[in-house]
Amino acid sequence: MTSDSSSFLTALRLSDSFLPVGGYTASYGVEQYLNEDRLEDGEDLQALLAAYLRRVVGPCETVALANAHAGAAAGDIERLFAVDERLHAVTMPREFRESSTKAGAKLCELLGPATATSSAADGREDPSAGTGSSVADGGELVAPFADAIHSDATPGHYPIVFGVVAAARGLPQLSACLAHAYSFVTGLLGAAQRLGRFSHTEIQSVLESLEPVITDVCEHHVDDDVTTMAAFAPMAEIMGMRHERAGRRLFMS
Amino acid sequence: MGYRDVAKVGLGGPVGSGKTAMVRRLVPELVERDYEVGVIANDIMTQEDADVFRESFDGLIPDELVEGVETGACPHTGIREDPSMNLATIDEFTERHPELDVVLIESGGDNLAATFNPELADYFLFVISVAEGEDIPRKRGPGVTQADLLVVNKTDLAPHVDADLDVIDEDAATVRGEDPFVFTNCKDGEGVDAVLEHVEREVLFA
Repeated sequence: MTSDSSSFLTALRLSDSFLPVGGYTASYGVEQYLNEDRLEDGEDLQALLAAYLRRVVGPCETVALANAHAGAAAGDIERLFAVDERLHAVTMPREFRESSTKAGAKLCELLGPATATSSAADGREDPSAGTGSSVADGGELVAPFADAIHSDATPGHYPIVFGVVAAARGLPQLSACLAHAYSFVTGLLGAAQRLGRFSHTEIQSVLESLEPVITDVCEHHVDDDVTTMAAFAPMAEIMGMRHERAGRRLFMS
Repeated sequence: MGYRDVAKVGLGGPVGSGKTAMVRRLVPELVERDYEVGVIANDIMTQEDADVFRESFDGLIPDELVEGVETGACPHTGIREDPSMNLATIDEFTERHPELDVVLIESGGDNLAATFNPELADYFLFVISVAEGEDIPRKRGPGVTQADLLVVNKTDLAPHVDADLDVIDEDAATVRGEDPFVFTNCKDGEGVDAVLEHVEREVLFA
């Protein structure tokens, strides 16, 4: 299997709802939007998710993931800690932070130190395959970063672990950002479908309309410096905070 | 310490079969036998549910060992395909209480196909109610056939819903083969001792 094929499969695996990291328990406020009758139809849902992508996933999580990926590839663990700390600081609702750090810890357990060595030994770092820059050393920090999460030295947010794991497995930065943003969107669409009254075709149509937004925000933010990382989604954050005391809740966030 | 260091008992079954009632019966008995117990409920949908659940174990087990875990409207996913959030909660239990002996994990009400991931539950009970129809065991759902212990609850209701306990007994014996099943009436505590005996022998003494 070529390096390209291998990294493609890694992207599929990381963006698949089959990945058991508890993603199906998070709605990132969508449940509260529905609790408060703020989402009437597919158009509302499309608008909400587009706003999530442009104001949170792009300028915040994509920046975090891309910088974590670069930090892992450069073997710079301090950079990983700094990115993780900043993402923690700019993620306002408590439940959003918890959903992210719990999923991050589970991803680390699942694809962390035990499997990083075998990936590195697969020859995925073959430079002739053109899979992206600096993946050769991407696996070095998996174990120390996992240790740091385990000992509470760093929060271990999901996009950071995603970046570290992606780098270790030779998935290029932009592909990793796209895989993450795509899985974020499908996760929330799945949540909306389970909570609201959206048909499967309507959900697919929303997904299709969001594809250009996903590519746009990832391409736009993949090279951003970590100091630019910031979210601006006050309503989503308020929904996330109200969800903590929601009358009905099927989701963790 | 982590989830692998503590015994875990799952309770699955359809909505309204008596899973919560069984947990409420088991916890005081286990505490009485000097086990340190934690409880996770996957069907806590409101704060009121959470409060009621904690209150029912007030004085028996510490508040922080009673947790609700939301499963995103997918109860079977939470106990089978992706139990990671339940496991994360058990990890939190064991970090705070390394001496913890057993965690009871109550699934949200589901269908007859719900089974527990073996990494989440070392042993699982599938609780059905006679009021759901005397033909439930005969349907041979994976929950009924694969559970370590099948519990047929609400036996007191049998005469009111035209359920013949002899038929259930015969069908359960047929579909379960060598595997055990017990009849209970959690409302009055009948049969709970038999459940405890199985749990103790198969999980806590194992």
